[in-house]
Amino acid sequence: MATEDSPRFDTVDWDEITSGGGREVTKSLVALGASLAGLAALLLYDYVVVPDRTATFAAVGWGYDVTKLDWLLALSLLFVAFYGALPLYRNERMTRYYWKEFKKNRPAVASLVFLAVVFVGGVFGPLVISSPESELLRQFQPPVFMEIPQNYVIECVGERAAGVCRGTWQHPLGTTPDGRDIFKMIVYGMQISMKVGLIATLMAVVIGASVGTVSAYAGGMVDEVLMRYVDIQQSFPTLVLYLLIIYTWGGGLFTMVLLFGLFSWEGTARYVRSNALSKSEEEYMKASRLSGAGTYHTIRRHLIPNTASSIITDATLLIPAFLLAEAQLSFLGLGDTSVASWGQLISVGRDHLSYAPWITLAPGLVLFLTILAFNFLGDALLDALNPEARAEAES
Amino acid sequence: MTERPLLSVRNLEKHYPITEGVLSRRVGAARAVDGISFDIARGETLGLVGESGCGKSTAASSLIRLEEPTGGRVLFDDGRGEGLRDVTRFDEADLKAFRRNAQMIFQDPSSSLDPRMTVGSSVAESLMVHGMTDRTRRRKIVENLLEDVGLSADDYDRYPHEFSGGQKQRIGLARALVLNPDLIIADEPVSALDVSVRAEILSLVDRLQEEYGLSMLFISHDMSVVRDVCDRVAVMYLGKIVEIGETEEVFANPQHPYTEALLSAIPTPDPRQRRKGIELTGKVPSPVDPPDGCRFHTRCHRVIQPDEYDLEQSHWRSLLNFRDEVVAGAVDVGKVRESVEAGAADGDAEATPDAAVEREIRADFGLPERLSDAAAERRLGDAFDRLLSGNEDEAAETLAAAFVTPCEESVPEFVDHGDGHRSACFLTARDERALERPANAER
Ligand code: SF4
Repeated sequence: MATEDSPRFDTVDWDEITSGGGREVTKSLVALGASLAGLAALLLYDYVVVPDRTATFAAVGWGYDVTKLDWLLALSLLFVAFYGALPLYRNERMTRYYWKEFKKNRPAVASLVFLAVVFVGGVFGPLVISSPESELLRQFQPPVFMEIPQNYVIECVGERAAGVCRGTWQHPLGTTPDGRDIFKMIVYGMQISMKVGLIATLMAVVIGASVGTVSAYAGGMVDEVLMRYVDIQQSFPTLVLYLLIIYTWGGGLFTMVLLFGLFSWEGTARYVRSNALSKSEEEYMKASRLSGAGTYHTIRRHLIPNTASSIITDATLLIPAFLLAEAQLSFLGLGDTSVASWGQLISVGRDHLSYAPWITLAPGLVLFLTILAFNFLGDALLDALNPEARAEAES
Repeated sequence: MTERPLLSVRNLEKHYPITEGVLSRRVGAARAVDGISFDIARGETLGLVGESGCGKSTAASSLIRLEEPTGGRVLFDDGRGEGLRDVTRFDEADLKAFRRNAQMIFQDPSSSLDPRMTVGSSVAESLMVHGMTDRTRRRKIVENLLEDVGLSADDYDRYPHEFSGGQKQRIGLARALVLNPDLIIADEPVSALDVSVRAEILSLVDRLQEEYGLSMLFISHDMSVVRDVCDRVAVMYLGKIVEIGETEEVFANPQHPYTEALLSAIPTPDPRQRRKGIELTGKVPSPVDPPDGCRFHTRCHRVIQPDEYDLEQSHWRSLLNFRDEVVAGAVDVGKVRESVEAGAADGDAEATPDAAVEREIRADFGLPERLSDAAAERRLGDAFDRLLSGNEDEAAETLAAAFVTPCEESVPEFVDHGDGHRSACFLTARDERALERPANAER
């Protein structure tokens, strides 16, 4: 019999073990379950207990009413934490290796820092910064170090000189035509961007990855039908559908995000499918099957982790595409005017470009930098996470 | 228990359908493994050798059911007192239990370890899959095992890219061992490794096998490796086993010409063993359309002559190669003629005499100017006349009718040479007379 402190493989009594049966329940699975249950409970509380027009957290004295998108964002963040951050933390060795590779790309590191600021600003900014209130008297305040002819402003917060109004630190990026602080709006816009980018991307990735995997593994008719559907969806004019929805039910950010997520997973699905097909030929997949593991286990433990790097790279391209799409729709006046997204801000400044260009330029620059950062990040991740892809590209 | 084998493979077949068109109409099959049989006793190592593409790896993956075999039986004794049971009929649960008894080492250690998993988890995976839910126990077992295969317990948390090829193969061994199987299939376990570490890994395999009483199916294309590790050896050619026997016996006294050819390719340091390298001519046939009769007849250097002829053996071989090429329409007379013309004197625009072209073709195929056997020479000359006058089809017919080896007319049966040494070749079936034939041919 094996001694307690030094069990050996050849003394394992397998009959005893396999008859015990049962799945292993890991701590992280329990934690994820608990978090999801907590979220669900809150949601129930919001919809059942809290009266319709009362803010969700009114009971604890916080006057914030949680929206549908907020719930989705919370859910997305949970998934990112459990399937992104936690594995990185757990597999410290691998993380360090990735980091070493990633670090070589300077612009990407800068991008990461920038995106981290946007992320933190998006999550915590609205909690600590009061929402930008409209103050008509303070309209068209210029940013610091800039000025505007006196006749555009009603009340100049900074110093006036020679018929111009100068900017102040009170409104570092100036104000909008209705006197909202642009810096605050950009911070609030970070959260909107996060919602658009994160939720839609996560939806697209989850649906795409599932369809791709099922397609690859089921094969035959299922594969055929799914892939033909992907073809159809790819040529489907999502914009027209969105317009249709706006005119029939009225649009909104929630609808927009949902549509983005539901109609842009075809690339991911194709990609994951072909990746799954080629990876299933790898010997480690055979080895896993040979160990007696079922298809689910093999997919979960080997296929997904090995496809993840490509999915992440794919996601870094999806996020900026969604952000840009939101901005474009807003600019065309098709966006959700009730939220302070960067796109909305840009479109607000549209009519005042000649004398108050900052209204458009400030959010435009942030948007541009965000998109650029995601592109740099995507490139660097491709290199760091996918050494094989890099080798192929070089050869 | 001793007389009953651990594994007994009977007529194992794996045919891959070849389909055509949108409707996937089945137009044929690649007969990768075409009815092979062998036994492996407890604690024994059987080598399965052959060129790449002969089906040996397919045989391995079908018998362990990584791929579903299309025919035959694989009988395995799982030691539960139920005797030999047919693996090909196992249901999920049986198969999962079978996985604990039979494991595999893969050829390429780099691709057989998941690059995104610590090697410890890779090895421990099997334990988890089979229900060992105690994380610390898994870890302890794997750490001990890693030490056993010559690595350290700390290596548990490292990733495959941090190891050398040899070390990765040690990990592959650990993974194959961790469920304490009775049988391990090693699919070319050292051929992807540096020559310098091969010996180490082989001796590790040897030691572990001894220690844990493992049976092994050792697949290789390298005869010299097989000689070092295997108790018995089976030689495979184009989906079939052509010779099987005790390693020493097969090496000392090969009965099948193909085995002989493989053995002659081993460089020997011993000058007294004057085994000349035998060069196999003729093209390697495809398993989709294997040759009739003895599958080796298109390349066999000892391919038998019909009684009517008495030719030098190498000429007979060349003659058959020539026949096969003509029948396949692969002899381009026009081209030869052109090159002969180009080679002739510059100003000479006159048509080159057919004789020169014939000489050229004969030289290409290693045929002499005149065959020593008059009857054969007459028929060959006839065929050449037709070929050179542009009648390729008739030439092919003439050749096909005139030169036929008994080897392609029927399939040789296995002949027992004692002690389980068997081979399938007409030469040995014809016993004494056949064995002397090569000597006769020298006259
Ligand atoms: S049967 Fe004929 S062709 Fe086949 S191995 Fe023997 S001699 Fe060669």
